[in-house]
Amino acid sequence: MRLYDLIQSNQNLVYIDALTDTSYSVNEFHQSITIEERQAVVFLYTDNMIGSIEVFLNFLQSRFTVTLLSPQLDIQFKLELEKAYQPYYIYDPSRTAIDGFQAYGASNRIQLFRNLSAPAYPVNPEIKLLLSTSGTTGSPKFVKLSEENLIQNARAILEFLPIEGTDVTPLNVPIIFVYGLSIFTSNCIAGGKMICTNRDILQKTFWEDFDHYGCTSIGGVPYVYEMLNRFGFFKREHLSLRYMTQTGGILNQTLVQVLAEYGTKHRQQFFVMYGQTEAAGRMAYLPPKDLFTKSTSIGIPIKNGRFEIDPDSNELIYLGANIFGGYAKSLADLTTFHRAERLHTGDVARKDEDGYYYITGRIKRIVKLFGTRMNLDEVELILKNALGGETFVCLGIEDKSLLVLHLNEELAAEAVKQVLKEKLSLHPTMIKVKFVESVPLTPNGKIDYSTAVQLID
Amino acid sequence: MNLSPKLLEVFTTALAVPADQITADLDYQGIPEWDSMSHMILIAELESSYAITIETDDLLEMTSVTNVVDRLKKYGIEA
Repeated sequence: MRLYDLIQSNQNLVYIDALTDTSYSVNEFHQSITIEERQAVVFLYTDNMIGSIEVFLNFLQSRFTVTLLSPQLDIQFKLELEKAYQPYYIYDPSRTAIDGFQAYGASNRIQLFRNLSAPAYPVNPEIKLLLSTSGTTGSPKFVKLSEENLIQNARAILEFLPIEGTDVTPLNVPIIFVYGLSIFTSNCIAGGKMICTNRDILQKTFWEDFDHYGCTSIGGVPYVYEMLNRFGFFKREHLSLRYMTQTGGILNQTLVQVLAEYGTKHRQQFFVMYGQTEAAGRMAYLPPKDLFTKSTSIGIPIKNGRFEIDPDSNELIYLGANIFGGYAKSLADLTTFHRAERLHTGDVARKDEDGYYYITGRIKRIVKLFGTRMNLDEVELILKNALGGETFVCLGIEDKSLLVLHLNEELAAEAVKQVLKEKLSLHPTMIKVKFVESVPLTPNGKIDYSTAVQLID
Repeated sequence: MNLSPKLLEVFTTALAVPADQITADLDYQGIPEWDSMSHMILIAELESSYAITIETDDLLEMTSVTNVVDRLKKYGIEA
């Protein structure tokens, strides 16, 4: 069973290009672009526009291993990744030419780039999808996912989200993120109309589409809901809207109350979800009925999944069929697909007497800024490479800002901010730069992050 | 475009771009820097700098430098 077959058998499925108000059936995208058939990697720099969706579906149908990447990725990062993984095809509407590749019209709508060296290398046929662990740092580390992973995740979502064939789903979360991908796959299997768009909730045109098509759901990371609240979205009734989903961090409690009350008043459901790329999407969800009483909880495990809490570290460990098949850091890692039985989430958690889980901390060196996961070690490396090999220590402050400690008194804070803006699209107001005389070290000479935290003012 | 130094500073802070990039036709998503996050920062900066509360309809219309200037007039602010 392939994910593509499940999508193709959904009779209600229609893709709508919001820009031109044109509808496409799934059959119109079936083998609609000219590609060879072989086992190799392809790079798709996809947004959520109709062209990206068509290309993605065509490659899902093929034997190729699909890599979903952000079109906004720094060009240097793109070139490095392409050198490392030698993709057979590249889809990137933002470029007109790529060295070593030939541009060709794969259909009258779609342009692809074909690798001139026609590289051949072994790829384990189980690896269907490669997703970046962080969308923006350009790290060559990818999560290896199988058809089975993707199907298990989508099916588990269909067990708790009220997805129906009459639904109209706006693709307002990028599909390069596993959450956006989950919205895409679950609705492609059991939903109805998919509104393909890059418009976002801050644009009037998004809301015009929302009303015009009668959208039935909305998804977002916490700051999306903060913005919706900011512009009075929850003060009005939205007749077509049936449910909302949220992931990527904990909502502030005032907002949860607003959402819970809104849901009760207008008979709409709000789902808090918990997931990770390594789980092909979701691991837990909070049933809407529990929003009032367990508002800080990530809820209960999805169907066929379960949690354990490590007795020593209190780390949350997930068990389920949607666990990934290992990381790839280079082309050589694509020969294997080993599904682990347990997924160490890197989050510290507790469980209450009713079986609901709560995240209480984080073990991994990860910060989530505006819902985007960022590995702090990778951020340090980017700064080191860009600023003459100096030492940088990066710390996250409550997922709201990034603190950069450095040892060079001459270094201007603006220089650090400029690098992070260029390479990672981080807004300067989210970054705090601080000069320190020395960095605390552990006895074996590594940076002692737990002590470094105390350097935060 | 002739913006007041105050409004120009709001734009350069929120969008994190040099002042010479703030032109009349600059619009939301027109440059990578003007994304949803910096847009919210822009709105917050406008509100705090001018001590106003921007209404939703105006917020959704403030999609270019020209439109921001235009909508601010409603709040009695001449750029």
